[in-house]
Amino acid sequence: MFKLNRSLQRKFDLLYLLTYKEITLKYKRTVLGIFWSLLNPIFSALVFMVAFKIFMRFKIENYTFFLLSALFPWNWFLSSITISARSLVDNVTLIKKVIFPRQYLIISVILAQLVHLFFSMPILFVFSLYSNHGISLLTWGIGIPIIILIQFIFTFGVSLIISISNTFYRDIEYLIAVIINLAFWMTPITYPMSSIPEKYRSLFLLNPLTSIMSVWRGLLFENKILWNYLFIALGIAMIFRKMEKRLDEVL
Amino acid sequence: MSKIIEVQHLIKKFPMIKNQRAFKEIVVNLHRFSSKKNNEHFIALNSISFSVEKGECLGIIGKNGAGKSTLLSLLLGTSYPTEGELKIYGKRTPLLELGAGFHPDLTGRENIVLNGVLLGLTKEEVLARQEEIIQFSEITEFIDMPVRTYSAGMYMRLAFSVAICTDPEILLIDEILAVGDESFQKKSQGALIPLIKSGVTTVFVSHNLEEVKKICNRVLWLDHGNIMAEGAAPQVISQYLHKINP
Repeated sequence: MFKLNRSLQRKFDLLYLLTYKEITLKYKRTVLGIFWSLLNPIFSALVFMVAFKIFMRFKIENYTFFLLSALFPWNWFLSSITISARSLVDNVTLIKKVIFPRQYLIISVILAQLVHLFFSMPILFVFSLYSNHGISLLTWGIGIPIIILIQFIFTFGVSLIISISNTFYRDIEYLIAVIINLAFWMTPITYPMSSIPEKYRSLFLLNPLTSIMSVWRGLLFENKILWNYLFIALGIAMIFRKMEKRLDEVL
Repeated sequence: MSKIIEVQHLIKKFPMIKNQRAFKEIVVNLHRFSSKKNNEHFIALNSISFSVEKGECLGIIGKNGAGKSTLLSLLLGTSYPTEGELKIYGKRTPLLELGAGFHPDLTGRENIVLNGVLLGLTKEEVLARQEEIIQFSEITEFIDMPVRTYSAGMYMRLAFSVAICTDPEILLIDEILAVGDESFQKKSQGALIPLIKSGVTTVFVSHNLEEVKKICNRVLWLDHGNIMAEGAAPQVISQYLHKINP
């Protein structure tokens, strides 16, 4: 029993250290350091706000908050995928010369990016507080942890596929840059689900990110749990969890 | 005595990769893609069997490309046998490439913790030994600087110190005793030999035959993936020397 606890402790420590390394290294030799985690999403949000609020003039009430409620979670996904695509390739010596669970390299990337999401959470919190719908314990205490877990599982699965295939063909990481850009516009982030023509909506639901982002937006922007989307997202997470167990063996 | 490492009819083949094929070649060759695969192999280890008892130190010698490092990576578990059986009982500590887990931008201290955990300790255990590791590595004044500022020798010394302070059970060593300057070399050998004598099972790959003779009680001579000879160190080494300088 003691032995098991120790090995669990070790795994936890390893994951913690790898994540810590991922976070601190990103901002080594910068002046602003970890503040970039806050500035980065703010700047990207500003760009979209200028584009859609001032130039395109979307007729959506409180568009800034509407956008951010899905954009920040999207950034978590985006940065996790982009960084983890190289995590196996860049750590070849580690993989070849040391034994440890290799998927930790990927998990630590996603966790580190999650920490960056946490940095932008206060902004979302303030927005929710002053929006018409307010906040409730149900959405922030239960809904958000659940959707984080679901998105984590989904991101992990996608990252596993990408990083493993990237070890065979480096073309993958370039391909991903294109696909992810497409995925961004194919997911209701800058626009609401309702602006998609009715007949295409079920097609959009094939994109797992559609339901995940919709749940986020429902929680933050409308302060309610959109059960239908949540269940779809949960189903996707379960499929990915199964696949991950297989891929872990490949690693 | 109990067997710690048991290897039976171990075969390791590598597919021959001549050139990574570009996309257009794949498309052109698509119709014979499946048949062309897996045809050419390089046999790195050709059905070898041996075992190592607890507390034994097995030396592996042979020319470049004999399969020594392949065997070590199989023993470590970073690659898998094509055929055959491999049983290992205990925690494996690799000393294959010193500083494999180091990150240049982390400080010496941070790297100690990260590597200690990678090599099988918990964070708490590493912290408890941190001073001992720093003392041994003799890098006291630079320990809070990023390791990219270290000289190659300092880097190696730190990595070696971490590795031997992690309570190894099975040590897998690949040609790394040439660490640092002469005085540190003496010191590292001085630290390693008692460790080996104290009952740590060791597999030791080296080209330095004197060292092998000094440390190992048994030696395996590999050539082109085959075991040429196995037995007491002096005999095997003299056989080997006889073969390469007839």
